[in-house]
Amino acid sequence: MQHNVKRVNISAELKKLKLEKDQLKIKRYQELTAKLFDLRDNNTYTQDAFNETTTLLLMNPEFYTVWNYRREILSNIYKPVGANVDDYAQVLNDELQLVLQQLKKFPKCYWIWNHRRWCLFELVALHRVNWMYEFAVVSKLLELDQRNFHGWQYRRFIVENIEKESVAKDPSHEKVILLKIKLDEFDYTTTKVQSDFSNFSAWHNRGNLIPKIYKLVHEIEVPAEFKERVKLFDNPYDILIHELDMIKTGIYMSPEDTSIWSYYNWLLTDDFFTKAYSKEEYLKVLHNQLEVISEVNELEKEDNGQDNIWCLKSIIFTKTLINKQQRGEVLTDEIKSYLKILIKIDPLRKGKYEDQLRGVVGIV
Amino acid sequence: MTDVTFVKDKHIQYVIEQDSHRSFEYWLSEHLRMNGLYWGITTLATINSLDALPKAEVIDFILSCWDDKSGGFGSFPKHDSHILSTLSALQVLRIYDNELTMISSEKRTKLVKFIKELQLPDGSFQGDRFGEVDTRFVYTAISALSLLDELTKEIADPAVDFIMKCRNFDGSFGMVPGAESHAAQVFVCVGTLAITDNLHLINQDIKLASWLSERQVLPSGGFNGRPEKLPDVCYSWWVLSSLAILNKKHWVDLEKLEGFILSAQDLKEGGISDRPDNATDIYHTCFGITGLSLIDWKKYNFKEIDPIYCMPVEVTKNFKKWKNLSS
Ligand SMILES: [Zn+2]
Repeated sequence: MQHNVKRVNISAELKKLKLEKDQLKIKRYQELTAKLFDLRDNNTYTQDAFNETTTLLLMNPEFYTVWNYRREILSNIYKPVGANVDDYAQVLNDELQLVLQQLKKFPKCYWIWNHRRWCLFELVALHRVNWMYEFAVVSKLLELDQRNFHGWQYRRFIVENIEKESVAKDPSHEKVILLKIKLDEFDYTTTKVQSDFSNFSAWHNRGNLIPKIYKLVHEIEVPAEFKERVKLFDNPYDILIHELDMIKTGIYMSPEDTSIWSYYNWLLTDDFFTKAYSKEEYLKVLHNQLEVISEVNELEKEDNGQDNIWCLKSIIFTKTLINKQQRGEVLTDEIKSYLKILIKIDPLRKGKYEDQLRGVVGIV
Repeated sequence: MTDVTFVKDKHIQYVIEQDSHRSFEYWLSEHLRMNGLYWGITTLATINSLDALPKAEVIDFILSCWDDKSGGFGSFPKHDSHILSTLSALQVLRIYDNELTMISSEKRTKLVKFIKELQLPDGSFQGDRFGEVDTRFVYTAISALSLLDELTKEIADPAVDFIMKCRNFDGSFGMVPGAESHAAQVFVCVGTLAITDNLHLINQDIKLASWLSERQVLPSGGFNGRPEKLPDVCYSWWVLSSLAILNKKHWVDLEKLEGFILSAQDLKEGGISDRPDNATDIYHTCFGITGLSLIDWKKYNFKEIDPIYCMPVEVTKNFKKWKNLSS
């Protein structure tokens, strides 16, 4: 699997040369592999064997069988009854350092992330894990690549474990602890989307956090120190208005940005919001949004001579929500005329708009 | 129309030669060899050229990757079993022999046990005994059991519950509950729902199909895997197969996609890359070509590909899918 690697067609001559040059490396690699498999098959669990796995894994971090063997060696040396807990904790922390170096070089290698998790849970069993350190590590990695899939997933995983650990230490304050952690994560997404509106990874996390924070806020007596920060979460309506206001800048700046629209759709359709206020309030919000988007669309029209695809899609979306609230008829002549424009300006998805025009599928 | 032709013979040669350029990098990729074999064989089967590789040798290689200790297939001889290499092995074997006669009943029993034991209490599957959980492994396990005609409701129902927990507010799916949507994860989730006859769970609204159709971007016409990311040939498969399962292939511009895939071919050496003028590999070659099969298999004189299993329909039509509990 190669991604983002430029194609170079090398001659047969050069290929042969490379192969000859590779021979030594290949020989060493194969010898080491064969040796390790022998050791493994003989159930050898020694420091020497462990060191050999280090050498091989530095050459090839994807070699999952060797990671497996390495874990077996660790378990066999350090886990028997009577083994020194401090020693094992030290070794596991060294593992984390090695893994971190490799992650910087291979941030998308599943096996390395996997090994890191395994080490952490070994440390959990020893009561020696430092989740806050992990948190710092992943925050750094995410600085390097704002949308690294593994990075975001790893951050959620760490946060979940920080929550568990903090609650275990002080179970009587469970909800206050959870609230604080989730508010911090919420603020983190604020920073991320404000520096880059198209960071959907951050919008995604934000959307998942909102209902959870809201629930917590209403389940407990919020301590004075958080009062200011939770104001926003008084009721879903306030959250909605706040979030719509936030994406407004994004809509004006880059209406093509699909991240924002995806979030917009969620804000206007999820039960969390729609069930929380009156039909009148809902309609007022929808009309306000329609006004904003129509204005952006008009500006785009002046600049480009045609509707903006995403504005038009969102006008259709918003109008349909209004129609549903008011009369129930959805496929109005107006919507039909917009769909026909979309067929022209967004021909890639023509088939979808045609299905919608014919009423085969819904509009939202 | 696109002006680039499909260089079938070059691709056949490319697949055959996968195993002959034994550079250092070749040896470094042993952990992917079984998957690589599946990608190569699927490529050849799709373009009606399965004979280009020696069947007996391929089968021997696969059987030599059997890991008797855990009861699954590794990616290379002596490598540990993993659910990913196990599915690839079974797929290739079943392409060659619908009855899977090369797998003894003793091995079959071990295989089923190996796969079932990877399932966790929440219905998810880990890839091996070391605990990595991902919707990829749910699909891989369910598909493998289905290939063995060993799938049961007891396994499928909790797996489906887990899959549905991975659905996001954008209608799409991630690798675990709470994880961001990603097109490859959509395929494995939709595939699992399709195998287990649960598509009704996602057919109530157009969110998912809309999300999938938005993956097609201009000017290339290729698909990306997430919003605001670059297009990549492998998503031709992950996205289009999902749309095909949902009966919404016409929600994207197939001709433009076809052009994008063809433009990523290496016309001199064969093979397909993630994007035009990038280095080719067998993975993108496979998913480019299976993508072309989904677009128009008749036009290319390909075999029709099954969007659920990523194997020729000719093979999958014999799947019983569920275990016959009456016998
Ligand atoms: Zn790719």
